This record gives sequence, C-alpha cells and structure tokens, in this order.
Amino acid sequence: MNYPVWYLPTIGGAFFIALIAITHVFVSHFAVGGGLYLIFAERLGLRRNNPAILDFTKKHAKFFILITLVFGSMTGVGIWFIIALASAGGTSLLIHNFVFGWAIEWVFFLVEIVAAFVYFYTFGKMKSGTHQAVGWVYFGAAWASLFIINGILSFMLSPGAWLESGNFWIGFFNPTFWPSLFFRTFVATMLAGVYAFLTCSFLRDGELKNTMTRFSGWWVLVSFLASIPFGYWYLTALPAPARDLVAGKSPTIQMALDYGLYAIGVVIILSLILTLIRPALNVKPVAFVVMMAAFIFLGAFEWTREAARRPFVVNQVIYSNGLTAADLEKAGADGFLASAKWTRVKEVTPENLQQAGADIFRHQCYACHTVNGWNNDIVPLTESMSYRAMVSYIKTIHEKRYFMPPFAGTDAEAEALAAYLVGGLHGKEMVMASPEGESMADQGARIFEENCSACHGYDAIAPSLAGWDADRIREALDHLSQLNEMMEDFTGTAAEKEALTQFLLTGGRVPPDGAVLFEENCSMCHGLAEIQPGMSGWDRVKIRQSLDNLSAINEMMADYDGSTSEKDALADYLAAASKAGDQ
Amino acid sequence: MSELIPTPDTIPVAWGFFQFLLLLTFPLHIILMNAMLGSAIIALYARFRTGESWTRLSEELAKVLPLIVAFTINFGVAPLLFVQVLYGQFIYTSSILMGVFWLSIILLLIVAYYCTYLFDFKFAALGQAGKWIIGLAVLIFLGIAFLFSNNMTLMLRPEEWSRYFQNSSGTILSLADVTLWPRYLHFIVGGTAVGGLVVALFGKFREKRDPELAELAIGVGMNVFTGLTFIQIAIGFWFLLSLDKPVMTMFMGDNMLATILLLAGFMLAIGVLWTAARKKVYLAAVHVVALVYVMTFMRAFVRSGYLQEVYSLDMLKEVPQYSPMIVFFVVLVAGLATVVWLVRKAAEAV
Repeated sequence: MNYPVWYLPTIGGAFFIALIAITHVFVSHFAVGGGLYLIFAERLGLRRNNPAILDFTKKHAKFFILITLVFGSMTGVGIWFIIALASAGGTSLLIHNFVFGWAIEWVFFLVEIVAAFVYFYTFGKMKSGTHQAVGWVYFGAAWASLFIINGILSFMLSPGAWLESGNFWIGFFNPTFWPSLFFRTFVATMLAGVYAFLTCSFLRDGELKNTMTRFSGWWVLVSFLASIPFGYWYLTALPAPARDLVAGKSPTIQMALDYGLYAIGVVIILSLILTLIRPALNVKPVAFVVMMAAFIFLGAFEWTREAARRPFVVNQVIYSNGLTAADLEKAGADGFLASAKWTRVKEVTPENLQQAGADIFRHQCYACHTVNGWNNDIVPLTESMSYRAMVSYIKTIHEKRYFMPPFAGTDAEAEALAAYLVGGLHGKEMVMASPEGESMADQGARIFEENCSACHGYDAIAPSLAGWDADRIREALDHLSQLNEMMEDFTGTAAEKEALTQFLLTGGRVPPDGAVLFEENCSMCHGLAEIQPGMSGWDRVKIRQSLDNLSAINEMMADYDGSTSEKDALADYLAAASKAGDQ
Repeated sequence: MSELIPTPDTIPVAWGFFQFLLLLTFPLHIILMNAMLGSAIIALYARFRTGESWTRLSEELAKVLPLIVAFTINFGVAPLLFVQVLYGQFIYTSSILMGVFWLSIILLLIVAYYCTYLFDFKFAALGQAGKWIIGLAVLIFLGIAFLFSNNMTLMLRPEEWSRYFQNSSGTILSLADVTLWPRYLHFIVGGTAVGGLVVALFGKFREKRDPELAELAIGVGMNVFTGLTFIQIAIGFWFLLSLDKPVMTMFMGDNMLATILLLAGFMLAIGVLWTAARKKVYLAAVHVVALVYVMTFMRAFVRSGYLQEVYSLDMLKEVPQYSPMIVFFVVLVAGLATVVWLVRKAAEAV
C-alpha cells in the first residue's frame, strides 16, 4: 500500500520473479561449484600430464565464462530489478537493513569477474601454480558471494532473534544460515558435475570423454551424498509454521516436493549409470536430460523455500503483499483504502463497491494471484463460493489457511473485496442476506440488540408475539409506531428486516444450516462434487466422526472446530449429499 | 502530489556515508559506460571502413568490449544500491510506473552482452556480418541509456506519478519532460566523446607494439573526442536551461557550492579541449575524470533541487549500526588488493 502495484493481471509479478530467480540460481550455483571443478580438472590434467584434459578444461572455462558472467550476473541483477518491481516494500526493507551485506557482495562480484577473466585469458600462458591460485581466488570470491546472499535469503525464511534486536549480524547468522550454506555449497558442486556432463557430451575423443564423464559423475554423486545431512539439518532448523507447511500443510509445496524428488532421482540414477557403468552413454540428449532434471530439482527446492515462509516475504515481518502488522492494525482502524497511498478509491460506498474491491484485490491478493492467468488464478479458486461465504472467508482467511495473509481493512472493505470477486469476476448475485459473514441468526440478534434491546429484551415481548407468523412480524416492523407510540418504524434494509423477523420468530434459536456451514468452512478448498466420490458409501455416523479427524484424511485440512450442533448439521448435510451422490 | 510518496525505511549509518559512496562509485560506472558506448560505436564505424588497419582496430576493440561490459555492469550495481538506500521511495516508484521497460533492460543487456562476445569470438568468421551484431549492441546500449534517462527523470517528478491511475501496466515514460532529451543527449554524446578518448588511450597503450594501429586509434579517438566535446558543451547549456527555474538558479548564484561546481566544470571542459587540441591524451584523460566527478556532484544538486519541496536526505531516520560498514570497508580494501594482484599476474603472463 506504500508503493504502487505494477498490474499485469494475467501474468502476475510472481511469475517473473520465479522465472528469473530459478534460472539465476541454476547458473549462480554453477558459478560457485564450477569454479572449484575447473581447479580440480586442471589439476587432473597437470598431474597426468595430459594436454587433452587441459584443453577440455579450457573449453569448459570458456563455456563457464559465457554462462556465468553474462547470463549469471545479468539474471542476478535481474532478480534485484524484479523484486523491486513486484515487491518494493520487501525489497526496500532488505536493502536498507542489509545494505552493507549487498555492498560486500558487490566487492566479491568484482573480484569474481576479474579472477574469471584472468583465469580464462591466461590459460596455458601462466605458470601453472599461479594459474591454480587464480582459480582458487575465483572460487573463494564466488563462494563468499554465496555466503553473503545465503545470509540474506535465509534471513527472509527465519529471521530468528533479529525480530527482537534488529541487529544485522543476528539477522545474518540466523537459524537456517549454516545448514542452508552447506546444503547450497554441495548443490553447487553437484551442479558443477551436471554442467560438465554437457561439455563432456560434445567430446569426440572417446577415452577423454570417458575419463571426464566419470570424473564429473563423482562430483554429482559425492555432492549429493554430502548434501543429505545438511538438507535434514535445514529441515529441522525451520521455524515451526514453515516446517508444518513443508510437512504437508501446503498443497503447492507438496507438488513442488514431488517434482523435486522425481527430478533428483533422475539425476542420481543417470549419474550412477554414467559414472559406474557406461560413461560412453553420455551423449548430448542424456546430458541434457540430466541438466533439465537438475534444473527441476533446484527449482523445486527454491520454490519450497520461498513457499515455506508464506504468508510472509520476510517471515513474521512483512507479508507477501507488502503489508506489515502495523499496516494491518491501521487498516483495521482507519480503513485500508484510506490508509493506502496508491488506491484510486479512498472509501467504500454502495456505488463504488466493485472498484473499491478491485483496488483492494490489487494491493492485497495480486502479489500471489493472477486474474484469468495461469499462475495461481483467482477465478477458478473462488468459483464455488457465494458472496456470503466469501465475506466470512476473507475475514478469517489467515486463521483458516495459515499461508494466506490476514485481510487488512474494515468490514465494509471485506465486503467490497467479496463483491469484486464474487459479483465482479463471477457475475454472481451478491445476496446481502447477512452482512459480512454473520449468520443470519447472528445478524438478527445483533439488530435486535442495537435497535430494540435498549427498551425491551426478547423475553419481554415473546408472549405478545405468540402465534405470529413471519409475514405478520415482517409487516409489523414497518409500522412499529402504530403498535406503540414510543417505538419508531424499523428502517433497515430488506435483508436486515428479514434477519430481524427470523430472530423474532425463533428468539434466536435457529438451528445451524449444514449447507451454509459447508460453504463457510469447506468450499474455499473443494466443492461438494469433488469430495462426493471419496465419501461414497459413508453413512452419517462415519461422516460425523470424520469431522473430528479431518487432518487424518488429508494433512492440509484442519479438524472441524464447530459446536456440536454445527457438527451435526454439517454431518446431516454431507450425509444427504453423499446419499444423493451414490444414487 | 506528496501523498503518493512512499514512507522510506530507516538507514543504519548517517546518510552522508551513502552519499559519499554514491558519488564515489557512480562516476566510475559512467566512465566505464562511456568507454563501452564509445568503443562499440568506433568498432562499428571501423567495420564500415575498408583497409586492413581499420579491420584490425575493430577486432582489437572487439576483444576488450566484453570486459568493459562486465565492469560497466559491476560498477553500476554499487551506485544503484546506494541510490536505493537514499532515494528508494522515489526510484522504486518510478521503476514500477515504467516496469515493462525497466525490466526489459535485463533482457536487452543480455542480448547486447552476448553480441559483444559473438563479435569478439567469431570476428573473422562473421566478416562483414559482424557489423549487424555490433550495430545491434550499440542500438541496445543507446536504448538502455534512454530508459535510464526516463527513470531518473520520472523519479524526480512525483507530480507526474498520478498517471498511474490511468495506466498501471508499467508502460509510463516521461517523454513530455523538457529535461528528458537534453539529459539523454548529454549522457550519450558526452559518453561517446569520452569513449573516443578511451579508444585513443587504447592506442597509446599499443604505441610500441603496434604503431600503425596506435596511430589510427589515437587519430579517430581524439577526433571523436574533440568534435563531440564541442557539441556536448552546447547540450550541457541546453540541459542547464531546461531545468526548473529554482534548480537552474542554484547554479547561477543561489547556491554557492553549486555555482562553484558549474564554473569548475566549465573550466575543466576548456582544459579538456585545450589538451585534446594538443593531442595530450593522458592529460586530457585526467581532466575528463575530474570533469565526470564534478558533473556527478552537480547532478546530485539537480536531484536534491527537484525534490527539495517534498524531501531532503536528512529526513531519513537513522538507527545506528556501524559494524557492517566497517566490515565492508575492510572487505573493499582486501578485494581491491586482490584485484591488483590478479591484474599484475595477468600482465606478467601475457
């Protein structure tokens, strides 16, 4: 809300971040591990006095320069550009807090470039000992870059005690710093082997190809084994909410982890074959498949790390949509639109409902959701929800699904957002039967409390109402002054009159409605049709029991925490639906 | 207009340190950018001329171009970092308003960078087709400079920002700004001029090894340098006169330091022309470096002048934490020492 939102509704800023960041990490880890690989490949050539190996190393160095210095450094700058465009508030926080971390990284970047050029352009022209030293300087600078960036990246996931102190070093050496550093280091050396497979696949000399493919394969396999304990340490060091998300509470992370596991499986199996069984099999398509699989593995890892800190961009500090806890408080009190700088609408009115909602969507949801795009598209995600359910969901969104940021704003603003989503995007009716998530019964009770209870409680008038039907009560509300001169005619909306009528009719003892409960508690993740096959053959008793153990059915669900009568009503509704589905 | 300006974050050390680092590093980026632009244009021009020595000049420039590109980018990172610390609320906003163009810089630069490598590694194989490759790189460099000029102008004009409410897709430019064109031309004409000087310096370094090439490089380089510097002085005045009046008058007596800088800049420009006319390449280079620094300081006055009604640097709140800066300075010294060692070893080897 502090910054304007670059709005490309079908694409989304998050798409560009993912695209640039994942291609960058795939190259930048190679820039670290590949540097070490060059040193050892050169040493192998020197020890065996083998000019072919040295020639291969020089060619690989050229490939390395072209990939890392151009694509690697430009996409690195590119990440910086895109995060500032898509998440200016978060970027500003990182830049201002860690400015000297970035500045130090810039120095290492400079040393890296100079060393890489010197290494490549003096290959074969420099004393071999000095040339190896230049290689080590390169690797030292590249690894130091990783060291710095790792501090800031891991800070975003687990700021730890920085939250209290705001101290640079405490934030930098945060709880996931070390496991992440070692894990990434071994991923880097693993990628060195993967990239080298590709250079090897171009070799025509069969013996050289076998030697260097085997050599590269060991880099992959040893690095993989070494990374396992650090990966485990990394997991255990995660803050509790992140660990829960990784362990199954987040559907997107589950998907990413599945892809990642298959991909690393492909990398390891092919590397085992190339290293231990048949290095000659290292032809271009095989090397390319290993490379793609490694790319998917790394992409899945980075995706998981990013998603694990949801709903935050800096854990516990700034939400994915750029809002802070202080913003939330202010928006709740003064209104989001009034406290945001970059909204067209400043106040919700009945006329501007959808426009206000669109503004709120842009600032609070668009950071992760596109509109009619293919990246986390909001349209299908909200398809099965009614206006009333949406209003209720928006207000409790963070409690219902931890990985979504809490809604920032007033009740009227939550309604405006719901109006945009349900009325605007889906063209559905916006039934105001009960405002902002109250059940109709609650609404009726509230209206009675606000308008009537100052003079008389329900019990006082209940006897007079005996025998009245809804129509008669409804009619009377418009003419209260005729009933008793001290009363004024009730002038609420039609919906409010309806709610008050229901309240007066029942005294607030309305049984819960299972369909409404389903809508309010379940429909944001799945419609009825999606779960019917799974419930096939279940009787009401089984359904009722399962409501208390939903997490056992699927880790992403929370056990239903309604009252006993609500559970019963929901069970009745589901049992009827299940029966209808089975027939 | 000021209600759109975002609230800035706090800074860890007094703003003067960041201003110092910004004004220290930005001129280095500009000098490298000039070298990149000028030598690419001259390499392109040389490819159009016939004769073995012209081809050789183009080829020799092709060899250094990828290196210059790399260092131009690297030395762009530091000032972009420090300007975000001091003026983040302005530059993040203007960047978002022109997001499509701003992000396209990355893609454009990758293409141009690969063009320079292609032009180098495949110089002979490409033959005359090389013209197109390096020509594309030049075109992209000029385009990127234009986008930078737009952003640096737009960030100083919060009153223009409400255009966002008509267009939020990130395609806003500040084409209507009267300072845009003189600012842009000031950078690219001046840049090409200094690039000419760099080519002349390049010739100087080769004087003993390859006198024929050296003579050609010095000749064409100094001609470009002298001719464009004349034009550059005229554009400089145009730029000055195009500035908003309160900003312009800062340089005309309203602000003593700004006025002294303008005078110093003018005298240095005379010195540049004088040394250039006498073909004193090294002396001209010393003048140019001093001049770029002076112009950078003037630019800082322009920036603060434009924003003076809504913002000054002392409005930034400091939450002091000095130890990371000390570590940075230690790393910087160690890093520069390492670079010196690397360059020495490389010079010994080739």
